[in-house]
This record gives sequence, structure tokens and C-alpha cells, in this order.
Amino acid sequence: MEIVVCLKPVPDAETRLRPRADGSRLDPEGVKFVLAGYDESAVEQALLLREAIAGSKVHAVSFGPPRWTEEVLRAAIALGCDTATAVESAGEEAGDPIAAAEGLLGAVEGMPHDLVLLGKQAGDDEEGLVPGALAEMLGMPHFGYVVDLHWDGAAQRLRFGRSAEAGQETWESPLPCVIGLQQAWNDPRTAKLPAILKSRRAPIAKVSPPAPSPERAASVPERFALPPPRTGAKMIAYRTPEEAAQQLVRILKEEAKVFP
Amino acid sequence: MTPNVLIVAEVDSGRLSLPTVEAAGVARSLSGPDGKIVGIAGGAGAAGAAIEFGEYGIERAYAIDDPRLDGAPAQAQTAYIAAAASAVGAHLVLLGGSTAGRDLAGRVAVAWKAAAANGVTELAWAGEALRVQRPVFGGRATEARLLRGGRAVVSLRPHAFPAAAVERTTCAVERAPAASVPPALLAPRRTGVEAVPKGTGPALSDAPIVVSGGRGVRTPENFRLIEELAASLGAAVGASRAVTDAGWRPTSLQVGQTGRSVSPQLYIAVGISGAIQHLVGMMSSRVIVAINNDATASIFRVADYGIVGDLFAIVPALTAEIHRVRGI
Ligand SMILES: Cc1cc2nc3c(=O)[nH]c(=O)nc-3n(C[C@H](O)[C@H](O)[C@H](O)COP(=O)(O)OP(=O)(O)OC[C@H]3O[C@@H](n4cnc5c(N)ncnc54)[C@H](O)[C@@H]3O)c2cc1C
Ligand SMILES: Nc1ncnc2c1ncn2[C@@H]1O[C@H](COP(=O)(O)O)[C@@H](O)[C@H]1O
Repeated sequence: MEIVVCLKPVPDAETRLRPRADGSRLDPEGVKFVLAGYDESAVEQALLLREAIAGSKVHAVSFGPPRWTEEVLRAAIALGCDTATAVESAGEEAGDPIAAAEGLLGAVEGMPHDLVLLGKQAGDDEEGLVPGALAEMLGMPHFGYVVDLHWDGAAQRLRFGRSAEAGQETWESPLPCVIGLQQAWNDPRTAKLPAILKSRRAPIAKVSPPAPSPERAASVPERFALPPPRTGAKMIAYRTPEEAAQQLVRILKEEAKVFP
Repeated sequence: MTPNVLIVAEVDSGRLSLPTVEAAGVARSLSGPDGKIVGIAGGAGAAGAAIEFGEYGIERAYAIDDPRLDGAPAQAQTAYIAAAASAVGAHLVLLGGSTAGRDLAGRVAVAWKAAAANGVTELAWAGEALRVQRPVFGGRATEARLLRGGRAVVSLRPHAFPAAAVERTTCAVERAPAASVPPALLAPRRTGVEAVPKGTGPALSDAPIVVSGGRGVRTPENFRLIEELAASLGAAVGASRAVTDAGWRPTSLQVGQTGRSVSPQLYIAVGISGAIQHLVGMMSSRVIVAINNDATASIFRVADYGIVGDLFAIVPALTAEIHRVRGI
């Protein structure tokens, strides 16, 4: 099975978020962009499938400015992905998931792809738009919010679960298919030092994104704001647990208005 | 400008789902007196559900008449939705904040050549553009964007908007304009639904109230205290990774960076210290309550209300008080 994993460079979890001087978007100055969250899970899932299906290959693809994509692609190679492809952009379109899908399309179309794996949502913008957008461009079915993915070789079908409001659904789909993964492994594999060292010299293929079409409807960042710092909790003073309970219930009813 | 809105129905046992009813309310407040609001429904029970738009003051809806959509994934409706959006001259296609709605938005945006945003908490017209606001980075920041070009596809954040007011009008249901569905989208099949068992409360990701327990609970048996508190509020149960890693409860309950993201109206954290990896999964909750015996725990920095105390004393008292007040 030829598996493509799409990996978005996102700010490291420890990043102190700061708006750019004009307030329109995140200031990327000094931010470390890494492979994180559901995309890490997508890599883990791709490698598990490769181990289960003989002759499989995993191709990592990332769209963004080279200094950001390089970091995640080298991490993906160190974890065991077979090839890495960067779609280079200036970063100005950042945050427009449809533009990201257009960029990824060029790379994915140019490589074998039975299964395209993504995170169900990126760790930064949390849009969850790219899996569906890319699938529509490729003319392939897609599913987001997927867990417990496996390949049924006898039936030649992917089988997976999907969390929906009504409960956990189970689905089957033939290939090719696009999957947005919600699965989280608490212990995805970590790269070994020799693999990390080797990944530093690994080749990264480069693809140019399509020129943005002027008539395309655009999503333009206008303002990036940090919520006013929570001033810390209002502490409930009490003498007995019963009194604490009464006070909290009263507050939830009368002040916060969230009591059912 | 008189904005026209197409609302995509999600049909749940033949009825409009709650996220769809929330979308109907938003459409009504966004569209001026001259704007058109049209619903569209597809799949099993589509025609009956489309009529229901009338209950929310929406007088026109399309039903997709295509039996191939029964049992097919919602995405098979994409081409119909795009065709209907063009037919009504829509400026906005609005989807409810459900799994299906969020999942459909990117597809519809590409098919209809629109800009898109998911999980929106505020939206307003800015001339021809739609200004949307949404939390990002697990609630650590918010962003506002302009969706330009006169075509926007938006899904709402669950619980961010009230359901539409009931206003019994009659909805005229017409057959949706024809569209061609790529056969590839009809191939996947649903093989089962494991319904959320009755009595276990709502699903974590969509619950209006979540009660989570952490390592402070100490044993798997004690976790019952968290479940009883949740049950008294009709809330979903969550857990920190300390709990799921120890196998006290399944990983499907884990809230945080490597678990679920939740944004309920009320989040109650019990015996949870407030590590950043937990916080990113729940910080966008509207009201946060923390119960912890360590007054310096980080959770109190993001909480709105805190009780410093022994959870084994506080939680049973709280559950009893809630039963008393709710009369159950
Ligand atoms: C890559 C990575 C990803 C992670 N992802 C997640 C994630 O998705 N979700 C997550 O939750 N964590 C995650 N973690 C783990 C996280 O860093 C913390 O270790 C974890 O959240 C701690 O869980 P806790 O708060 O239950 O336990 P602890 O930090 O041990 O806190 C227990 C709390 O209980 C309180 N307590 C003890 N006894 C009582 C009592 N009798 N009454 C009241 N309070 C009491 C203590 O004061 C303490 O504050 C991740 C870590 C890493 C490195
Ligand atoms: N710039 C990008 N490069 C590669 N993959 C991406 C990019 N943006 C989004 N993705 C993929 O799409 C998923 C959902 O992203 P989003 O729609 O932005 O929430 C991510 O988890 C990635 O797998």
C-alpha cells in the first residue's frame, strides 16, 4: 500500500503565542515549528499499516515555508517514513486551509497514493478542513474523526471507527481514500538517535505550489488575539464540605448561569 | 447587500439535529429582511426533515431525491449542496457544528469555490465579506478572518449559539437541483453504530457539561465519585492522562493534547493538577471549576471558580446538593 501522510508544521506546545505587530496573525518570529498532535498520530498509524502490509511505503508531505517544513519532514524520516516532499510556500497564505490543500494536491498527485492520512485537525488552527478539501480535489472519499483504522486484506477494504454524536460508527471503504485521524496513541514511537542523525542528511524532494488563482474566494487573517488573562479562580470560602457544595451550586445557578 | 443563506440539514432519526437548529437560528439573525434562507436535506428521511425547517421560520427547503444517498456518507451530498447554493444565489452555506458538518465544510468549499471556516463562534457581514471569529490553539487564542469573494462555507462551534426560536411557518419543500455524484463517494458503507448507551450521559466531545477526574482520585474504584457527580448534572465524564495511562478508565475519555478537545459550557476538574497538555484540551470551556487540595495547583490559574479541599469530602457533598436542588 502506498501511504501519503500530510504533516503541518505547527508551533511547539511551549510557544508563548504573540500577535504580529499589526495584530493580524501569529508572529512566527522565534517560534519553533514542529510535528505535533494528530499529525504525529497519523505518522504512527502509517507506520503501523506499513508493518502490517508487506511492500508498503510511507511518503511524508508538508506544505509551508522551507524552514518550517524541513523540521517536520526530518522528524518524519527519523521516525521511519520512506520519502519526504516539501511544497514550498512563502507562508503568507498560512491559515487558509483551502490554499494548503491546493498546495498538497500538487505533491500528492505526483506520487502513488492509495491512502492519504492526515490529522483530523491541525494543532494550531484546528480547522479540520484540509482532509475534506484535499479529498474533493482528488475526487476521493474522505473521513475525519477516525479511530481504530485497519486494512482488511481479504475484503480489500479499510475498516475504521468514527466518533459521531449518535455514538461510535464503524465504516468500510475501498481504496483510494483520505482519512483524517483522531486516534491518539499515548506512546507513539520516538525516533532513535542514529535515525535522527541519519535523517539530517536525507534528501527532501521539493515541489512548487500552484500559483494562487485570483478568482478564488480567500480566507484572510484579520486579527489574532489572546484572551484576557484569566485572573485566577474565585476561591470559595467554606467551613464544611456541605457549605462548599451549596455555595458552588448557587454560583453556577445565579452567577455563571450554567446549572442544568 | 441582501445575504442569502443555504442551511445544510443533518438528519437524525428523521428529524433536524440540534446543530442544524442552531444553524437555523444563526441564519435568521444574519440574513436581512430581504435575504433568502433555504434549507437542504438529503439521505434517508430527507423530505420529512426538510418540512421541519418551517418550525424555525424557514419557508423554503430542498429535499435531495436520490435513494443512493441512504446509508452513504454525508459527503456524497457535496455536489447537490454546491448546486443548490448556486441555484439560490447563496453567499453563505451554513453547517451545524457536528462531526458530519465539520467534515463536510472543506469538501463543499472546494466544490462551490468558496472560502471556509470551521468551529465558528461569531460571524457578521463586513460588506461582501463574512467576518468570522473562532478559538484556536485549544482556546489559548482567538482569530478573526475575513472570508472574501462572496462565497463562504461555515460550520458553527457546538453550543456556541442558541437553538432557533420555534416559529411555526410552512416550509415549501422542492426537489433539489440535479447534480452528479462521483461513484467513488458512494462506495464507502457504514457497517454499524454503537449508540451511546442510555444512562452513560452525552458524548464527551459534544456535551454541554463535562466532569473530569485526575490522579487525585487515587484508585479506579474511587473514580465512581466522578461518574456520580457527572450523572447528577447529566454531564459527560472525562479524565486526565494520568487516569487513562493507569488504565483506570479507557483512553476515549482522555481530555488534552493527546486526547479529546472539549469546549463545554461548564468543565469541572477534580483532582487534576492542570498540566499544559491537559489545559489545551479544555481551556476554551466557558466556565471552569476546579476542586483540588493543593491551593497552588496550576488548574486554579485557568479556573473561574475553585474549591481547595479534599475531593473525597467535597465531591459527595456536591453530588448530594445537586440531587437536592434538581429534585432527583
Ligand atoms: C506529549 C505529552 C502529551 C500529553 N497529553 C496529555 C493529555 O492529552 N491529557 C492529559 O491530561 N495529560 C497529558 N499529558 C500528561 C500531563 O503532562 C500530566 O502528566 C497529566 O495531565 C497529569 O494528570 P493529573 O493532573 O491527573 O495528575 P497529577 O499531575 O498527578 O495531579 C493530581 C492532582 O490531584 C490533586 N489531589 C491529590 N489528592 C487529592 C485529594 N484528595 N483531593 C483533591 N485533590 C487531590 C493533587 O494536588 C494534584 O494537583 C501529556 C504529557 C506529554 C508529555
Ligand atoms: N500546511 C500543511 N502541510 C501538510 N499537511 C497539512 C497542512 N495543513 C494541514 N495539513 C493536514 O491537514 C490536517 C488538518 O488540518 P486543518 O484543516 O488545518 O485543521 C492536519 O492535521 C494535517 O495532516
